Amino acid sequence: MSDLSSLPRKPINVFPLWLAALAALFVVATRDLEIDFRALAWGVADMGEFLGRFGTPDFSRLGRYLTLMGETVAMGLWGTALAFLGAFAIAPFAARNLSPHPLVYRIARELLNFLRAMPDLLFAMVFVAAMGLGPLPGVLAIGMHVTGFLGKVFAENLERVDPGAYEAVRASGAGFLQTVMWAGWPSVLQETVGYTIFILDRNVRMAAILGLVGAGGIGFEIKTTMGLFQYDRAAALILVVGTTILAIDYLSVWARRKVR
Amino acid sequence: MVAMAWPTASGLPPRAMVLGAVGICVVLTAALSMLELGRGGFLASLGRLFEYVGNIVAAPDWEYAPTVAWKMLETVEMAFLGTALAVVMSLPLGLLAARNSAPHPAVSHTMRAIMTTIRSLPELMWALFFVTAVGLGPLPGVAAIALVSIGYLGKFLAEAIEAVPDAAVEGVVVHGANRMQVRFYALMPQAWPDFIAVTFYVFEHNVRAATVLGIVGAGGIGYDMTMAMRLFRYDRLALILLAIYLAVTILDRLSDRIRARVI
Repeated sequence: MSDLSSLPRKPINVFPLWLAALAALFVVATRDLEIDFRALAWGVADMGEFLGRFGTPDFSRLGRYLTLMGETVAMGLWGTALAFLGAFAIAPFAARNLSPHPLVYRIARELLNFLRAMPDLLFAMVFVAAMGLGPLPGVLAIGMHVTGFLGKVFAENLERVDPGAYEAVRASGAGFLQTVMWAGWPSVLQETVGYTIFILDRNVRMAAILGLVGAGGIGFEIKTTMGLFQYDRAAALILVVGTTILAIDYLSVWARRKVR
Repeated sequence: MVAMAWPTASGLPPRAMVLGAVGICVVLTAALSMLELGRGGFLASLGRLFEYVGNIVAAPDWEYAPTVAWKMLETVEMAFLGTALAVVMSLPLGLLAARNSAPHPAVSHTMRAIMTTIRSLPELMWALFFVTAVGLGPLPGVAAIALVSIGYLGKFLAEAIEAVPDAAVEGVVVHGANRMQVRFYALMPQAWPDFIAVTFYVFEHNVRAATVLGIVGAGGIGYDMTMAMRLFRYDRLALILLAIYLAVTILDRLSDRIRARVI
């Protein structure tokens, strides 16, 4: 028995260390923000009362609400279309195996990163301040932010394409544009369309929110009615938004299955 | 002249694609009439936009930089607290929502319905409710972030648990494990890595969400941004936008690194 080599040293379990560090961070952050979580418990009653005011939705102006919802969906559609065009133009430069020069690749990637880093609501606030109220700043905000998202996804799709597809087209004398148009996009068409449909769903949701900062759509009406304490109207508006989002959700699942 | 043809029998583009493209164009044109364009049309609006952006980048107020840094740190702390709370709370909720670990199918259906409802409204809307309940400050923001994150993390955890292969469960069951032991020694360890990976994505999303919650008074740098815009302090606005960009980018890269190590 004694000539058996001793067992290898047991690896240190770092999990408790991580847990302790995170717990410490939690305490520090709570102190720094001066948060008292008990206030949440005290606020529950107020919140119940507040939510109760939404109990009697008032659909008397349904026609107007539906028009506004239509405007919101239109914002989502146009935002998606802009983002698709933007991503379509930038993604080939941001794909490592297609980009004409490493420097161009870096610049395109950083541009997409910047667009992705800024939430659409921030873009919308800046655009509303610059261009005035209305759906146009909302459409541009969605278009800009989502260009960053779609551009990154498209570029990664283009990078995953079998190198043979590019080589075959390049070997027949294709330049950058021809490689992109005849080998790049055709190889990733399905994923591209599928992801665009997926993001459309999110964009309509976002369009419904952008009104909070004055960028058109149904969100502006929600904000106004809540500001005037017309909770029954706000409840009706929220129900209209919820139903539409649910419908678009099912539609998008159906459309994506069709594409595949 | 090079003859260009699609790789189809007729040499024309596939009909489904043409119909799809035409359909999209028709819908977009119809939608255009709903979006009344700004005064003087689209181009004039763009002109105003360029003028505004020119104002922003003109001369940042560097003395304001330390304040912005602190506000940004506060914003990241909000995202961290919200995510941490959501992780802790979504562990039991995820176990209850997964079909193969719920005590009864009805429980799993109910949990899923609750999570879908939570996810249907974005953080900003929930923050609006919480602000009315507990007043202005970072607490309603943290609560809104935590709530929406529970909706996402709970759903992902439930899906990860459902994806655990039966072999892992059988291996524990044949050793005489009861239902609770199956959950802790077969289901959770298998689902854990996926859950951690998703948690990083949710944290990144929450940092972005936390930057805008200030618009409704729920704490974070968004409040300072609203103020800077109302007071036309373009010099401060530039710094705030820069801070958001830097913080989001640095955290994204950092969490990419950590995620690659964990998995």
